[in-house]
Amino acid sequence: MNHSSTSRQRVLDRIRAAAPGSAARERDYAALERPYTRTGSLTAETRIALMTERLREYDAGVTECASGELPAAVAAALAASGRKTFVAPAGLPSAWLAPGFEWKIDRDLSADQIEGVEGVVTACFCGIADSGTIVLHHSAAEGRRLVSLLPDWHLCILRATQIVETLPEYFARCPQPPGLVTWISGPSATADIEMTRIKGVHGPRFLQVIVVRD
Amino acid sequence: MRASLFITCYNDTLFPETGRAVVALLERLGVDLEFRSQQTCCGQMHANTGFRSEAFSQAKRFVRLYQDAEAVVVPSSSCVAMVREQYPGLFEELGNEALRREFAALLPRVYELSEFLIDRLGIEDVGAWFPHRVTYHASCHGLRGLHLGDRPLRLLRAVRGLELTPLPNLDRCCGFGGTFSVKNGDVSSAMLATKLEDVLGTQTEFCTALDNSCLMHMGGALHRRQAGIRTIHMAQILASTEASPAEIPA
Amino acid sequence: MSTSGYHPDLDPASAPPFPKAALPVLNNMQLRKNVAHAVDVIQAKRGRLVAEKTDWQQLRAAGAAIRDHALENLSFYLQQFEERCTAAGGVVHWAADAAEARRIILDLLRQEQADEVIKIKTMTSAEIQLNPYLESAGVKVFETDLAEIILQLGNDEPSHIVVPALHVNRGQVREIFARSMNRPDLSDDPQALTAAARSYLRQKFLTVPTAISGANFLIAETGGVAIVESEGNGRMCLTLPRALITVAGIEKVLPRFQDLEVMLQVLARSATGERMNPYTSLWTGVTPGDGPQRFHVVLLDNGRSSILKRETERQTLRCIRCAACMNSCPVYRQTGGHAYGSVYPGPIGAILTPQLTELHHAQSLPYASSLCGACYEVCPVKINIPEILIDLRAQVTDQERRQTRRWFDPMYLGMRVASFVFASAGRFHAAQRLGRIGMRLFTGKDGWIHSLPGMGAKWTQSRDLRGLPQQTFHEWWAARDKAAGKEAQ
Repeated sequence: MNHSSTSRQRVLDRIRAAAPGSAARERDYAALERPYTRTGSLTAETRIALMTERLREYDAGVTECASGELPAAVAAALAASGRKTFVAPAGLPSAWLAPGFEWKIDRDLSADQIEGVEGVVTACFCGIADSGTIVLHHSAAEGRRLVSLLPDWHLCILRATQIVETLPEYFARCPQPPGLVTWISGPSATADIEMTRIKGVHGPRFLQVIVVRD
Repeated sequence: MRASLFITCYNDTLFPETGRAVVALLERLGVDLEFRSQQTCCGQMHANTGFRSEAFSQAKRFVRLYQDAEAVVVPSSSCVAMVREQYPGLFEELGNEALRREFAALLPRVYELSEFLIDRLGIEDVGAWFPHRVTYHASCHGLRGLHLGDRPLRLLRAVRGLELTPLPNLDRCCGFGGTFSVKNGDVSSAMLATKLEDVLGTQTEFCTALDNSCLMHMGGALHRRQAGIRTIHMAQILASTEASPAEIPA
Repeated sequence: MSTSGYHPDLDPASAPPFPKAALPVLNNMQLRKNVAHAVDVIQAKRGRLVAEKTDWQQLRAAGAAIRDHALENLSFYLQQFEERCTAAGGVVHWAADAAEARRIILDLLRQEQADEVIKIKTMTSAEIQLNPYLESAGVKVFETDLAEIILQLGNDEPSHIVVPALHVNRGQVREIFARSMNRPDLSDDPQALTAAARSYLRQKFLTVPTAISGANFLIAETGGVAIVESEGNGRMCLTLPRALITVAGIEKVLPRFQDLEVMLQVLARSATGERMNPYTSLWTGVTPGDGPQRFHVVLLDNGRSSILKRETERQTLRCIRCAACMNSCPVYRQTGGHAYGSVYPGPIGAILTPQLTELHHAQSLPYASSLCGACYEVCPVKINIPEILIDLRAQVTDQERRQTRRWFDPMYLGMRVASFVFASAGRFHAAQRLGRIGMRLFTGKDGWIHSLPGMGAKWTQSRDLRGLPQQTFHEWWAARDKAAGKEAQ
C-alpha cells in the first residue's frame, strides 16, 4: 500500500466522521429546489437578436445568412478578415472551405503547424443568447481544442436553431453530459491591470460569428 | 396601545436624550409607555466579541423581563438585530425548551423604533417639525439585519421643515463594529475617515440614524475635526415640534 | 522588496496578527488607492449585472442547496469522481495535508522529467506553498495568468483571489515588466503591458510540456473538471502540454454536470461583473488526440474535513471563490489582502484561514470585521459569514478561557467585568455612577473626552467621546415617575 492510498483512507474516514452522508442521497438530490428561470420567453426572432447583441457587446463580429448562402457568407467573412491561411477541423463540411484561401485540414496537426495559421473556422454545439456564449463540444466539425485556440481569428458558424435563450436550456440539450466542453463568451480578455478591460491576451483576439437562418 | 421601552445599556448611560425623545414621541402618539427598571443589556457586545455564555445570560434576562410585555420598543437597530439574529442560536445551543418557547412567543413583539411606528402604529407622519438640512445614515444592522428598507426615509420625509440630502454609499459601514473599533482601531479609523468624506460632502447640519452606536462613532470624529455637522438620533428629530423643539447638546 | 513596499507574509503560521499586519498597508496611500479603485469598479459592474437577473435570489438559494448537498454527501461524491475520472484515463491522488500534496506533485513532475512547468492561477497551490517548494527542488515555475506574472516577476504576493495583483498599478507593472523582460522602452499602457505578457509567454506555452492547474469544479457524475478563466492562458495550459496535474480542494465537487447551470450563472456575475467569463473549459480524464495524454488530479484535504463537523462552519466550504465578499467588504477596501496573512483574504479568508489551521493560527482574523453583513448579502451561495465569524470568535474566546494570560488581557477582563455588571440592574446602575465620576478625570471643559488611556486610546486616536451625562435615562424616568406620583396625590 503506497502512501497515497493510506491518505485516501484517512481523508475519506475524516470526511465520513464529520459528514456521514444521507441514506436518501439520490432522493435528496432529486428534491433539490431549482426555482430559477429555466426556459426563456423570447420568440425565435428576438432570441437571435439578443444573441447578436450580446456577441457584439463582447466586440465579436456577427453576420447573418440564409442556409443556402452559407458557403458564400463564409467566403465573404474570410475575405473581410484580410487573412489568407486557415485551419479547419477534419469534420468541417467541405462546402465551407472557400476557394482562394490556403486551408490546413486538422488531421493531427502539431501545435507548431497550427501556430503559424492566421485563422480558424469551426461549427459549434450551441449558442446561449442570455450571455452571448458559444459552446463547443469539440465534435469533428467543431475541432480539437487546440484548433480553436491558437489562431488569432476564429470564425464560428452558429445555426439559428442552435441558439437557446438561457443557460439551463443549453443543459437541457445535453441528456448525455459531454466530456469536453469550451464555453466561449467573447474574445480572451483581462482586467488585471487597474481593472482596464484589455481584449486579446492568449486566446484568439478576434471572434466572428455567422448566424445561419435554418 | 401599551408598550415597554428597552432603552439599551449605552443609550441609558450615554444618550439619555434619545430615551427622553422616544418617550415624548410615543406618548404624543398616544402610546401608554412603561419602563422596566431591571433592564440592563441585550448581550450584543458579549456575543459579538465571542463571549457566548455571558451573552446567553443577558439574553435570558431580556426574555424573562419582557415575556408579558404587549410590545417592546428599542431605539437601536443593532440591539434588535441581536435579538432576532443571535438569540435563536444562543437559545438553541444553551437554553432549555421552556426558554425557547418563551423567546419564540416574545420575538414577534420586539420592534425597532421605525418598525414600531410604521408597522405597528401605522403612522408615517408623526407630526414632527425640524427645520434643518439632514442626511440619513443607514446602520448596517438596520439595513441588512432588519431590512428596514425605506421606513426611516418615509418617516423623515414627513417631517415638516426638514430638508433631506441623500448620503452616497449608503450601504457602506462606518467602521464602528462595537469592540472592532478598539480591537482594530486603526482599520476602524480608516473606514470612518472614508465614511466622513461622504457625510461632509452632503453639507448638511445633521447626520441622523436609528443607531446611536454609529452616531457616537461618526459624531466623535466630527467633533474632533470641528466639522460643523452634528449627529442626532432619529427619535429626537421625530420628537421635535414647534412647541417643543429637539434638545441639541453642544 | 516587493512592489507593495513591504514584504507580505501569507503563511498563517508566521503572519503577524491582523491589526498589526494592516498597519503598513494603512500607511501606503498608493496601495490603498489601487485597492479601492479596483473593488469599486468590480462592485459597480457586479451590481448592474445582478440587478438585471430577476431570478438572482432563486439562483443563490439553489446554489447554496446544491453545495450543501454535495458537502453532506462528500465522501460519496469524491469516490464517484475518482471512479469516473479513473475510467476516463485520469489518475486520482489523495493528499491529507499540504506537505503530502507538494510531495505528490513533485514526484509526478520527476516522472515526467519536467524541469519547467507552466501554471494556471490556482489559490490552492498558493495555499500549499507549491511554487517555492518546486523552485527549491530545481523545477522552474512559470505562472501564466497576467496578474500572477506581475506578482511572480515583482516578487510580490497575491492580495485577492480573482484579481491577485489589484494592489499594483500600471506604473508599477511597467517597471516590473521593463526590468524582467528587458524591455526598457515599454509604456505603461495596459494594452502594451498585456501584449508584452502575451509574447513573453507564447513560447512557454508551445514548449513547456507539463502544466499545473487548480479546479473550479469537479463533476462527480462524469469525472470531469471545470476551469473558469478570462485570458485563455488556462486553455493553453489545459491543451498544449503532454501532461497536466490538477490540484483541487476536496470541497470542489458538484454532483452532476447540470449543476453548472447554477454555478456558471452566479460565478462570473459575482466575480468580475460579467454575464459569463470569456472561457470556461471542461475536460474528462484523457481524450485521445486532444490535449494532455497524462492527467493527474490531487485531491487536497489540508484541514477541510475538519470544517465539515459543525453545521454553521460547514457553510464555509460552499465557497466557489468568486471574491464578491472581499469586493464588498469595507475592511478589505482599506487594507487590501496582504493584511490577512493568508492567500485567502477578505471575509472568506477571515473564516477559512483560521479553520484550515484548526484554529491553531490566525485567531485574530475572525475579529477583522465590523460584522456589517455586506459579504453575506452578496455571497452567491449564501454563506452567512457574519454568523461564522461570531461563532469562531466564541471558539477563540473559549481557547483564551483556558490560558493564564487571559488575566493580562484588558479586553478579556473588561468583558468578564461587564458580564458581572449586566447581570443585575443594581450593579449596572452603580457602575454607571462610578463611570460618571471616573470619566470626569478625562472630560475637557467642552464636555468631551479627547484622550483616553489603555484600550480607550484606540478610540480617541481618531474620535472624541462625549462626556457622560449627569443623569442617565433611567434616573430621569424615575424622577419623572416620582414627580407624576406626587402630582397624582
